[in-house]
Amino acid sequence: MVHSQSQSQSQGSGPGLFDGYPALAGTFDEMFAEGGVARAPFARIAGLLAKVTNDELARSQALAEAALLHQGVTFSVYGDSRGTEKIFPFCLLPRLIAADDFRRLERGLQQRLRALGMFLDDIYGDQKILAAGVIPPDMVLGAAGYCATLRGVKPPGGVRIHISGVDLIRDPDGTWRVLEDNLRTPSGVSYVVENRLLSKRMFPRMLDAARVHRVDHYPTRLAETLRSVSPTQASGSDGNAVVLTPGPYNSAYFEHSFLARTMGLELVQAPDLFVDGDKVYCRTTRGPRRIDVIYRRTDEAFLDPEVFRPDSVLGVAGLMRAYAAGNVALANAPGNGVADDKAVYPFVPDMIEFYLSETPILEQVPTYVCLFEDDRKYVLEHLDQMVVKAVDESGGYGMLMGPQSTAEERDEFRRRIEAEPRRYIAQHRIELSSCPTWIAERGAVEPRRVDLRPYILTSREGPWVLPGGLTRVALKRGSYVVNSSQGGGSKDTWVMRDP
Amino acid sequence: MISRVADHCFWFGRYIERAEATARMLGASVSLALDAELPPAQVWRTVIVVSGEEARYLSRVAADDENHPAWGDGELAQRFLVWDEDSGVSLCRSIQGMRWNARSIREVVSHEAWEAVNELHLWMRDDVSATTFAQHREGFYQYVRRSTQLTLGLLRSTMLHDEPLDFMWLGVLLERVNQTARMLDVHHHAFTHLSRRHEVVETALWLSLLRALSGSEAYLKRAAGRISSEGVARFLISEPAFPRSIAYCVHSAYSRLCDIRPPESHELPGGIALERLRVLDTWISARRAEPLAGTGVHDLLTHVVDEVHDICETVGRELLGAPPAAVPTA
Repeated sequence: MVHSQSQSQSQGSGPGLFDGYPALAGTFDEMFAEGGVARAPFARIAGLLAKVTNDELARSQALAEAALLHQGVTFSVYGDSRGTEKIFPFCLLPRLIAADDFRRLERGLQQRLRALGMFLDDIYGDQKILAAGVIPPDMVLGAAGYCATLRGVKPPGGVRIHISGVDLIRDPDGTWRVLEDNLRTPSGVSYVVENRLLSKRMFPRMLDAARVHRVDHYPTRLAETLRSVSPTQASGSDGNAVVLTPGPYNSAYFEHSFLARTMGLELVQAPDLFVDGDKVYCRTTRGPRRIDVIYRRTDEAFLDPEVFRPDSVLGVAGLMRAYAAGNVALANAPGNGVADDKAVYPFVPDMIEFYLSETPILEQVPTYVCLFEDDRKYVLEHLDQMVVKAVDESGGYGMLMGPQSTAEERDEFRRRIEAEPRRYIAQHRIELSSCPTWIAERGAVEPRRVDLRPYILTSREGPWVLPGGLTRVALKRGSYVVNSSQGGGSKDTWVMRDP
Repeated sequence: MISRVADHCFWFGRYIERAEATARMLGASVSLALDAELPPAQVWRTVIVVSGEEARYLSRVAADDENHPAWGDGELAQRFLVWDEDSGVSLCRSIQGMRWNARSIREVVSHEAWEAVNELHLWMRDDVSATTFAQHREGFYQYVRRSTQLTLGLLRSTMLHDEPLDFMWLGVLLERVNQTARMLDVHHHAFTHLSRRHEVVETALWLSLLRALSGSEAYLKRAAGRISSEGVARFLISEPAFPRSIAYCVHSAYSRLCDIRPPESHELPGGIALERLRVLDTWISARRAEPLAGTGVHDLLTHVVDEVHDICETVGRELLGAPPAAVPTA
């Protein structure tokens, strides 16, 4: 614990946290500008942090990790029969975001989510954007996430993307760029709230001095968002919302229970629910009870064995009939996958112009669409410099990392691209920004690459951005991979209030 | 309340109580083996029998030999009842069961109670518990007892006193009836059939049983210091103010079930379990005035254990997971 006494004792005794901090060449450092000077909005907080010694930080870090373990803030490790759970690695040094920066992000994200919502309404409706030739129909209708059976179904409350997480990175100039949209079941928001609790315990005075936006009202806002789309709301009832989880073996189970608990909603599993007369009921100790909003954390493919995978035991038979009848709101709506498809991503700026007649506020990563002849030619000529991604695969599969690839791998991808150009997009690798990070095994603060996932809730009234987000950090030296399954960790994200 | 959640609540309660009862019994038995000049098998065999693991112990530890020295080996018996992962009643399994059920309803259990459960689970999995077990046996049992007591206390002081807590408490109480009944039955049988009956030894035995149930002080207050086999049996069966007596637990379990499923709400499921528990409650209180002679204690306790077993099954069938009969027309 860093308290006043140890802070005053530490002054001048032992090295400060940032002494000899080696900025990472070629990256934008989130805290320090050229020459090791803290960026202006963070000068005060960097000064306070610099007074902490390595020993103090190491101690606080160990306490924080013990607290996470004791509270069971863990994820399940798949394929481990003993049910091993791990804590998501966490670095106490916060990632700071200036008030001006975040205001721009906020407007950009709201704009983006409005356009994406209109795109989904259109695709599952008149498909005007396809008729207008803005996006090649094949890119959309051929996407794995497109659900033709849902065409014509209007979601209760008119909302489809209730909860989204948009992954952002920052290039070497410090420009924010959208890397991908997560419009199905984005996870990680529980760590945003939990990480802040740790910051409060470990750095109480600093957090106060830094004038940081709070994040602990997220569950309240989420509950309001869910209530706002309840199909029985009009009849004056408060609605009956539940959180649907695949169960305790799911890697994100902690988050599911966290959200249910902090919203005061019940956490249900598929066998708790059944459908009768196109209405959804929950089995209770006092008989069936009507459910009208489901925040589902089960993948769409498993949601209803009548419609999707018939082998699913995680699903509720008839759920999609109840949804189509307007008797239950599903958050997020099924079918959203078509809008966060890798092949559709390059066209989001076009959607913003088409639906909103606005200029996109946020940049994204320039992307070459192999279906287009010019793009394809460029990609094939520069394969050794590009990151090529198959649009229907994720988790790092079906990818060519050009700069690290062999000639055979490039030839293989050349053949694949020429055979099925629609399946491939390509981007230049973007150098992620870096952030001072505590590296326990080296007993020092070093720069590590980070990204940012802000969370956006959309109710009937429109999108709202949580002033914070999940900063994921690639803890391995030299790594670009921020995923928790591959050595990634997280940081608390401090969004500054206006000075 | 969701039936699956109620089921986890009920079993969460049972496992908490089971872990505590096992820790109590083992701790008291260590002390008994030191105090009373009893043949060791008299102590440890009784412990194994009370836990219901006689057959497994015979095959796993005693090499299928009824006269094997393992029956009198306190170390083997304790290791078996603490660490055996395959035994449904071992301490480590009870703690796993407690934690698994709590984690499955993490959103129902209060944060503070969950933390107490999780810390006990992590402690049990860590080397520190094995070290404590090896070096400070009494401290080991004490840690488990205190952690489970802390959990029970936090549940009552930090959760809403409504259905989920009612189900947890129903599980605790029914498990406790079982634990008290089995402990009393086996000890009563063993002690009244001692080959060389000796007043001092017998007193030590009854005190040890009372200690295992945290009832020695309470008993001595009620009995003004007189220790007799009938007095102890009557106290553990009928004392209405002692929270581990059978009468107290059955009556409290009935009250909990009345809160869950009010007797007048005939449209709700749970009516059969409620009625059986009411009958058992009435029956136990009627026994208060009768003399306890001969095999009376054993017969009475057997009836209690059988009834509780059936009541638990009925609760499971009626309230904890059976699909609803019909959807109400809304």
